[in-house]
Amino acid sequence: MGVVHAKDSGSGLPHPNINYDDCEGVETREIKLDGVKARVDRVHVNGLARTKNDIIQDVVKDLFAANDFQDVLLKAQKVRTKLNSLGCFQYISVFVDTSKGPSATPHGIEVTFHVRELKRLVGGINTQVGENEGSLVIGLRAPNMFGRGERLQTEFSYGSKNSNNYNISFIKPLKGKHIPVFSTSVYQSTSEWPSSGYRQIDQGLIVDFAFNSTCMIKHNLQWDAAIRNLGVLSKSSSFTIRESSGATLKSALRHILSIDGRDDRIFPACGTFFQLASEVAGLGGDVGFVKNDVFLQSNYSLTDDVVLQTSFNGGILNSLGDDYKITLSDMYYLGGPLSLRGFRMRGVGPHSEGDALGSNWFWSSGLHLFTPLPFRPGKGGVGELFRMHFFANAGNTGDFEGDDSIIERVKTNIRAAYGVGLAMRLGQMARVEINYCFPYKFQESDLAQPGVQFGIGVQFL
Amino acid sequence: MTSHVPLMDKIQMELGVLEPWPKDVKLYQPYEVEQILLPDNANCLAVQAFLRMCNLEFEVVSKANAEFMSPSGKVPFIKCGAFVISELEPIVQFVNTKGITLTANMEGDQKSDMRAYMSLVHNVLENAELYICWCDKETYNEVTKPRNGSVYPWPLNHIQTWSKKSTVLKKLKMMGWFNKNIEQVYQEVENCCQALTDRLEGKEFFFGQSPTELDALIFGHLFTILTTPLPNSNIANIVRNFPSLIDLVQRVEEDYFKKKVKQ
Repeated sequence: MGVVHAKDSGSGLPHPNINYDDCEGVETREIKLDGVKARVDRVHVNGLARTKNDIIQDVVKDLFAANDFQDVLLKAQKVRTKLNSLGCFQYISVFVDTSKGPSATPHGIEVTFHVRELKRLVGGINTQVGENEGSLVIGLRAPNMFGRGERLQTEFSYGSKNSNNYNISFIKPLKGKHIPVFSTSVYQSTSEWPSSGYRQIDQGLIVDFAFNSTCMIKHNLQWDAAIRNLGVLSKSSSFTIRESSGATLKSALRHILSIDGRDDRIFPACGTFFQLASEVAGLGGDVGFVKNDVFLQSNYSLTDDVVLQTSFNGGILNSLGDDYKITLSDMYYLGGPLSLRGFRMRGVGPHSEGDALGSNWFWSSGLHLFTPLPFRPGKGGVGELFRMHFFANAGNTGDFEGDDSIIERVKTNIRAAYGVGLAMRLGQMARVEINYCFPYKFQESDLAQPGVQFGIGVQFL
Repeated sequence: MTSHVPLMDKIQMELGVLEPWPKDVKLYQPYEVEQILLPDNANCLAVQAFLRMCNLEFEVVSKANAEFMSPSGKVPFIKCGAFVISELEPIVQFVNTKGITLTANMEGDQKSDMRAYMSLVHNVLENAELYICWCDKETYNEVTKPRNGSVYPWPLNHIQTWSKKSTVLKKLKMMGWFNKNIEQVYQEVENCCQALTDRLEGKEFFFGQSPTELDALIFGHLFTILTTPLPNSNIANIVRNFPSLIDLVQRVEEDYFKKKVKQ
């Protein structure tokens, strides 16, 4: 029996469809693996140096519960995935053999994992694409520091819009069946918002506890404390922006629930992604609010390569009273290639002298039809990086003040735009879109952007 | 100072001539009772005095973040229509573009004389005030620290005060004041006051019968030094040794601050 190279159990892998009856001249015999009795006598893990035994024992002990051969193979694969997720190893292979020697049982099996540990220090310089900005990232990583999967990551990035950021984080996977992970990070992030006329420097600390309640549902509990320094971007910024400049201290608790059932992040063909984020700020500091955001995306394959995608994004921000501040960066903005196409960045909603001021609630929804490129150039190769898409999106944003009921206001003055465009996959994380947009419904105060619009980012509407 | 003003601002200022002084001019400064520090208070008072001398209407608005709202990072600043102008000299220039000036009858050499004395006040009195507030341990701990941090929650108050301190110290180091000891600072103040007294020569104001921006600036600084309670009152005592300056301060207060209240 040879080496079994287990594959990622992650979704999206095509099942090989081989018809063995067609193979001529080869004698085939079917064996039902689940009928073969087996008992795991021993598990070896070769190649461990600084990794501590207890976390390895914790991961591999499931194997001993297997009682037929199929179970052994499946569990071995699962264990390999788990070992991989510890982030300590460069390379893992699995070797299954019958057990030999005096202590071997009749159906005894030995499983051997050959691993190679990561080096103590890993570094790199690479480029990254964020929300409409590219940046050069210099990173340094110390994986598996104390032998139990702990890692320290530092990252310094120099953005194309002159924003220098750093992030130093420490991550520690904990024991348990819910895959809990504890992480904490110190960061500085600079962001410039020409559409709102301000720039902001955040310096903060995030303590995060992540766990899965079932295999699909992921939770993050976070505490975020940050000093936000808001400055006026230029002399022409509106006086309202000027009035909100200065430093504020935010201390917030956040819960993020996400369920990702999609087969791919960039161009999914099927599956649904749901994310619900709730945030309460005001536990210390002078900023206070309650914020709830929801994002939902569903994909349906109409034919082999034509995908219909619907998405909804919405959020609501409630003040905790006049004693607490809500700054520009806490507000919601709508418009731009990543949110409501056909409008300028933050182009929908209240403005003062051309600067977007943000609002207390928003919703936006999109309908897409993704198709391959016409005439399929580069089929199976480069062509697979591209998609054509036809889209229509609509949304609304506003505040709580006024006499109309909130439901009435959510329904009136809806903004909408439609268009056609080309989308390109950029690695496994980001997407580039060039669209031709036709704003269909908008208000006089909105900044509509008919014509070509370019967008690059991670999460699109 | 004028050479730093970008062309665009100059054009805007020229355009400003077309409009008269609006009624809704606002002067922004930090909270006077619990927040403002000695040097800032002096500058705010100087601008107020200047505007009152010009008989221009304005409303004082107290804002905790006035310093960050200001285009130059310094208080006070005025908002006049679409224009936002900070600090005394640019404000004087802006007011001049509206055709209002306190120096209309002055000769060219008198004007340059006035500018020289204004920069003397900035260089000596302002730096001395900064020195007392940020380098004198007692004043820093008892007055500067609690006041500067008063508008922020813990622990941001400490962080903000600390970062402002490092900025001020950097400035004082650059100006060569950081290495002075307190006695030398007192000596500088005394010399400055002596120079001003000599120039005043017992006149009502520095340049004859009517006040100029120099009088406004000196009023701002000396009045603040005299009236602000500090653990270390030596500077106020030094100023008290110059009766003609005290007379000037009292005259400006009488003419431009108390009168208005009565009206």
